[in-house]
Amino acid sequence: MSLLSKIKEVIICLNAGRVTLPYPFAAKPVPERFRGRPIFHPEKCIGCAGCANNCPAREILVFDPCQEVRIIKYIGRRCTYCGRCADVCPEGAITMSGEFENATGDIHDIQQNLEIFMGTCQRCGRCYSGQGPLEGLMMKGYRSDNLDKDAWVYSSQAYLDKEPVVKDIDLELD
Amino acid sequence: MQLNIAAIILGVFNVALALVLAPLFEGILRKITARIQSRQGPPLLQPYFDLLKLLGKEDIESGHSPRMQRFAALLSLATVLTVAVQVPMGGQAPLGGQSDVILLIYLLTLSGISTLLAALAAGSTYSLVGMSREMMAMMTLEPLLAVAIVIGAVHTSTLRLDQVLNGSVYASGLFPVAGLIMLGIILFALQAFIGRMPFDTAEAETEIMEGPVMEYSGPKLALFKYARMVKLFVFSALFIALFVPWGHIGFYPLDVIIFLAKVTVLVLLVTLVAATHARYRIDQAIRYYASLFGLALVALVFAVSGF
Amino acid sequence: MLKNLCKKMFPRSLWVYHANSGGCNGCDIEVLNVLTPYYDAERFGIKLVGSPRHADVMLCQGPASRATAKALKRAYEAMPAPKLVFAIGSCACGGGIWYDTYNVIGPVEKVIPVNFYIPGCPPRPEAILYGVAVALGLVDKKVSPVQFKQLELPIPKYHPEDLLKKDEMVVYQKIDHV
Repeated sequence: MSLLSKIKEVIICLNAGRVTLPYPFAAKPVPERFRGRPIFHPEKCIGCAGCANNCPAREILVFDPCQEVRIIKYIGRRCTYCGRCADVCPEGAITMSGEFENATGDIHDIQQNLEIFMGTCQRCGRCYSGQGPLEGLMMKGYRSDNLDKDAWVYSSQAYLDKEPVVKDIDLELD
Repeated sequence: MQLNIAAIILGVFNVALALVLAPLFEGILRKITARIQSRQGPPLLQPYFDLLKLLGKEDIESGHSPRMQRFAALLSLATVLTVAVQVPMGGQAPLGGQSDVILLIYLLTLSGISTLLAALAAGSTYSLVGMSREMMAMMTLEPLLAVAIVIGAVHTSTLRLDQVLNGSVYASGLFPVAGLIMLGIILFALQAFIGRMPFDTAEAETEIMEGPVMEYSGPKLALFKYARMVKLFVFSALFIALFVPWGHIGFYPLDVIIFLAKVTVLVLLVTLVAATHARYRIDQAIRYYASLFGLALVALVFAVSGF
Repeated sequence: MLKNLCKKMFPRSLWVYHANSGGCNGCDIEVLNVLTPYYDAERFGIKLVGSPRHADVMLCQGPASRATAKALKRAYEAMPAPKLVFAIGSCACGGGIWYDTYNVIGPVEKVIPVNFYIPGCPPRPEAILYGVAVALGLVDKKVSPVQFKQLELPIPKYHPEDLLKKDEMVVYQKIDHV
């Protein structure tokens, strides 16, 4: 009879107790790999604007006020927390943190502005792209016959590890 | 026709009791509904906050005739409070000799009509649909209460309020068959009179379509909500006066406390049924009321023939 | 005095009207989740009502599109004062990723004034509850604007004290101070 099933229903629900989470008053941990708000780490950013290129909502804007300074603006309004900017960043300067508590009365609270210094060529003064991995290797002095082809010269000893990795080869360096 | 001071004071006390305690019972209903649904519900005093907030909002007058809307809002609360004056709450009926049961039945019908008036005065499509459902429900429901009261009147051969509303359905000399049948019928139809969950089609249809009170905002809405809460209280009081009137001690404050305990038990029953049932469609509901009315007529036949 | 009491009761019982003006319904589902027993919103006194005339707060979701902008404005004007508008989801806050499609006018605030933003795509039910709690003043807000300016320039050209002269070749020292 349906009355009995209603009584059973009431008893089952009362047995469950009170399942309400005390949420705004007690913190709730997020699952790992949860994509919350992107956080920009300015000390790692090289100003390549790959994130701005890749953002589907066109939320990261790049301004070049002068040759040496690049302003990268993350306006958080349309961000869908997709994570493509963090995916494409070569230096890993963007992390999708676990913060989802982003509510605010003024939407300009979410923006993050970075002013990055871009290195310019010392001879012509224009920006050029930084070294690739191969050039990085050459910079560190592993091939000592290429030093004159490089655009800027490091005092290369400073770049090597203090202890040589291979102990029986004697590298002659500047 | 003399009204002595005691009757007036008793009547005013009834109205004050209804006004002050009705939101508390609604709060108990919401809290227990929440606990049955395994969640922490609103605080117990939440309906008071709701009513106060509604009183502070702007009153947008929209709809066909704003004057009729104002009248309907005031009428709804006024009729239930007038019923509250007449129903005994833990003692004898305040207007004992001066009022009779026909007036009670008319007042209850009038409170239903105030909802119809509210919907017609607003004039929007959803309001009219809500109004037609409420009208159909009213036409099949009011006879049930009328039959219960008439059985009481037949047993005590009088229409005076204080004698009929005193458990008179059981007052026949022989075994009270009619009384017990009517007890069962009104218990099954109590949800419909109060307007709660399985038979929710009329007033609180805010969940389905916005219902008759769709166009009201601010203070007028507060009056409608208040009327609904007082209806819960007053119908419980009526049920107790008709069917469960025992436990009189004679000392008035203690009687009031016993009465409130009985109302709490009834509200708990109403809550349990309301929290576990889904809403009936209007045609299912009317078929249900019609079958209950058939049983009520059988009870009436029993009463007239002496049982 | 009654007026003051009514004003104080306003944050304790907010009646919410949900208006979706062209979104994908993701935020709809999250709002529905907030009303379930797990993240109970009714303990703050929040109730979902079906008519804007009964409501205090309009929960807007989805960008304002050309077809629904007029309906949104009418629903906003049908609400009695005092009223609040919460924009839920990144579509309502800023247009979402659909900000430049042919159908979308823009964020909801191009049509009606917004009081509170809850970004996310879709925002978790906890995030919506958090937003409501911040609006009611129960907790503090956690975001603030971040600005970074590089004060020291890490290029040797700008630090001539690091220049070494070694027989007509100018060699830069790698700097370890920034």
